[in-house]
Amino acid sequence: MATTTATITLDSADLLTNVLSFSTTASLTKAGTSTGLAETTGLARTNFTNDPVQSKVIFRSDDATNNGANKVYLKNLSTSATQFFTVYIDEEEMGRLYAGDWAFFPWTATGGTKETFIVTIANTWAAGDTWTFDGITTTAANSTVANIATQINNQYYPNWTTTVSTAAITFTARHSMDAGTVVTATADGATVTAGDGDAVISSSALGVATESDIIVVPSVVTTMDLEHMLIKE
Amino acid sequence: MATTTAAVTLTSDLLSDNMSVSASTTCMKAGTTADGLDMMEYGYVDIASGTAYDIIGNTPTANKATKLYIKNHSTDETYYISIVLDAQAVGRLYGGDWMFIPTDFHDANADVEITATGGTNKICYALFHEGTTLVAS
Repeated sequence: MATTTATITLDSADLLTNVLSFSTTASLTKAGTSTGLAETTGLARTNFTNDPVQSKVIFRSDDATNNGANKVYLKNLSTSATQFFTVYIDEEEMGRLYAGDWAFFPWTATGGTKETFIVTIANTWAAGDTWTFDGITTTAANSTVANIATQINNQYYPNWTTTVSTAAITFTARHSMDAGTVVTATADGATVTAGDGDAVISSSALGVATESDIIVVPSVVTTMDLEHMLIKE
Repeated sequence: MATTTAAVTLTSDLLSDNMSVSASTTCMKAGTTADGLDMMEYGYVDIASGTAYDIIGNTPTANKATKLYIKNHSTDETYYISIVLDAQAVGRLYGGDWMFIPTDFHDANADVEITATGGTNKICYALFHEGTTLVAS
């Protein structure tokens, strides 16, 4: 089992009439257990240089366990005292991280719902027929619909993951997001076939946005850097 | 000026090489290197499970470099407190866990709300700030 510890030390010789000094260490464990957290993004650094100022998603809720004992570490690497990052959880402002400041906090990572749909390869296909979706074209190697479905499943889609069962491929969005009233339709995929082969999309389910992505906004357009790490279940 | 330092060390054997991350900051007032945070509120309280409470009863000045430290001193690993900012869930602080965050009490709803689960949780907290509006009696 991995052992990860987080120690904080708070010191002040002159804030109070007596010296303030305390330190505590937490062993970071999975929710409600004594088993150590097992995953981390590792330490990373993100640069912000955008005009106008733009926010960035530092951690997506989809990438951590909902209601897990996940922990977030952030540090503003700026050296200019007036520069700060405003830290948000979803749309709620947590606070301002000024130059050199750091934060360490638990993260619920409330997830959303990923859009899904099923596409079924049916009727008469021939070798050389194609199906294009999400910018990816699959060319049928033969006329067997199950084989074509497997070929489609084996592709890498920028915005979707897939699983296959016989001739039906289930597509799942990589990220949860509000899809409004739009559902993926058969017309979103382009079929080119010599016969009457089709790729009917069914069982579409709308996505719902996540509710606790970690977002930061720099205070200025000049270069600012944020150090960050997620330790998660 | 008051000088208060906050340091964190994260160590782990999660990776193939040992990980150790350290950071230390002097808690300054917003936008300055000349003046440190010079006010503090500190408490150690029992929080009964089930009811949501504002851990800071008064209203610190908005848009400052306010810092909040909270530790859950419960020894039962299944106990936790839920941290919520203006109805937005932040995370769960399980027994033994601590957090240190910048807080911006930017409007009347931006309170730090805690709710205990599992049983009575023992909570220690410290707020380092630049000024506050006390609740009138």
